[in-house]
Amino acid sequence: MPPGSPNILPPGAPGTRPYGPPPPPPAPNGPSTPSVVPIGARAEQAFDPPGGMAWVRVSPKLTWQRRIAVLLWALPVTIIGAFVLSRTRGLAGGLIWLALVLVACAVGWIVAELSYRSWGFAERADDLLVTHGFFVRHLVVVPYGRMQYVDVTAGLLEQWLGVATVRLHTAAAATDARIPGLPARDAAILRDRLAQKGEARSIGL
Amino acid sequence: MYGPGYGPPMYGPPPKPPVHFSHGVHRLHLATAVINAVGVVVIAFVLGGYSLLLTQTPDGVALALTPAVIARFLVVMLPVTAVAAAIGFWIWWSLKFWISGDDLVVETGILRRRNRRIPLAHMQAVDVVRPLTSRVFGLAEVRVELAGGDQAETKFRFLGRPMAEQLRAELLARAAGLPGHTPEAPERPYWRVGFGTLLGSQLMRLPVIGALMLLVALLAFGVVFKELGVLAAALPVLLGLARGVIAPLVMHTNFTAALSPDGLRLRYGLMETRMQTVPPGRVQAVRVVEPLLWRGNGWARIDVTVAGYVGDRQALSSVLLPVAPRDVAMRMVGLVFPGTNAEAVPLLPAPRSWLAPFRKGEAGTDDRLFVTRRGRVCRRLDVIAHARAQSVRLTAGPFQRLLGLGTVHIDAPPGPVQVAAEDRELGEARAIVESAAGRAHRARATDIRTERWAR
Repeated sequence: MPPGSPNILPPGAPGTRPYGPPPPPPAPNGPSTPSVVPIGARAEQAFDPPGGMAWVRVSPKLTWQRRIAVLLWALPVTIIGAFVLSRTRGLAGGLIWLALVLVACAVGWIVAELSYRSWGFAERADDLLVTHGFFVRHLVVVPYGRMQYVDVTAGLLEQWLGVATVRLHTAAAATDARIPGLPARDAAILRDRLAQKGEARSIGL
Repeated sequence: MYGPGYGPPMYGPPPKPPVHFSHGVHRLHLATAVINAVGVVVIAFVLGGYSLLLTQTPDGVALALTPAVIARFLVVMLPVTAVAAAIGFWIWWSLKFWISGDDLVVETGILRRRNRRIPLAHMQAVDVVRPLTSRVFGLAEVRVELAGGDQAETKFRFLGRPMAEQLRAELLARAAGLPGHTPEAPERPYWRVGFGTLLGSQLMRLPVIGALMLLVALLAFGVVFKELGVLAAALPVLLGLARGVIAPLVMHTNFTAALSPDGLRLRYGLMETRMQTVPPGRVQAVRVVEPLLWRGNGWARIDVTVAGYVGDRQALSSVLLPVAPRDVAMRMVGLVFPGTNAEAVPLLPAPRSWLAPFRKGEAGTDDRLFVTRRGRVCRRLDVIAHARAQSVRLTAGPFQRLLGLGTVHIDAPPGPVQVAAEDRELGEARAIVESAAGRAHRARATDIRTERWAR
């Protein structure tokens, strides 16, 4: 089709700059925003708490929750793997399997502690910040007004340890803002507080 | 010749007065009952009815239409037909809908009544869909989309075509807070995609050309070596081409976009025609895609994330403009996010590193939009309004941290367009996060159009 033949643009169609004042030319870190981290901030400060605040840390029971979970996984894996390998490869195979599982457990043991230390959250005036992750670091900023609902969940292990997970849901599935390892009572209080803040600032989609 | 004032001669019945859905109770088109009943009868016939027509003979099974056989067939199928007709009619009778105040009320249920109230202000989109079969009978389906979940869709299948258009117009008018008898908002044509352009755009893509070459090579091999085995390899390629070229071609034939006060009106489809209204405030994020081979013609495509379309419907309605010159596409982005200009946003390139020597992403923001651009071969421009951002995330994997890099995600509801500024310097990335969070907060404070649709 030759360009422009049946494609009619009405003369009144808005141009590239339709209405409103021309957009200001700020850069991503322009001076117009009260950025907490100054421009050119050091990379190691990227996951620091927002200015003047400290991360609220979760309960150390989270470490134990993870460690017990690791052990609960390791137990059947050890038994079945060792049984199968000792049948096919003899005693040596079983022992090597046992050693591998022990190493994996040790790694899991250490990672549980490191992962626990990486969790933190901070409640700002308009949004909630959550950071976590040891291998892949995450920082999530969720505006209270965007929260659709907040829920508290506690699995069997969590119930036994007396902790719970608070999870924030927005319309975006990618948001993934959860805070595990909170003492059950604190979790309920936090949920209520977040829900209240969300309601006060609620806006549709 | 008749003089002026006589008007055209009136043949046939006079036009019916317009229906107001706020008065009285309304039902689907009566043909729905017939269609449902016919469907049930066909299923009954396929499942067992046909075997009654067959007779076991010494030679095997034969179709012998003796009176006894026909009687046997009718004895079974007539009651089935009667029951199907009764059920079809009952379902049709039990589904009622009307507009009450600011709600659309749908009452269904044969045994247990179910009354569903849909607040019109929460409506995300109203589509009029006309599948091929129903087009023959002049019927149309109206789909009302709500935010959240696969169940959040209400279908009216089928309505007479004029009634479907009236229902759509009245829903849109009421959602915008106007009285229901407001005539449908006027529209002016914005863009029409010619079939040649559409066909060219579908063929001029590297994967398609690659698949075509593979197909030709396979067939040539098969002909030269008289080897039928290549058909086994050619068939999946052919199916892939049908899915990748013919399906979008059939779907987007006769694509027209029009502007109206209640949003963009899109009409398209060959087998199944759709009329879709996209209110600007419901568009979450937009992507302008320019594949390598399109750039010679200056073509671009717009993908879009609209809240409310989930799963299959998301994939069906994710294209805002299948192909158009780039400046037309960019103007369309300006219409979707009114009062903004995505091209005027200054973009800063991400630092180059050995991890990504070729992928040079760029990102930039102004007070309304967050824009990223990436891709060498297939260039993509992702645009999200700060007012639509659900959350802001910063992630840094182990390799990224080794290089002091991080990725900033501006989260939108699930859809084809997800906006992320990849591989920014970590310090800058955190600054982007903070500034985006602040801008989003201010943008939301001034953004009041979400309460009422398209006002």
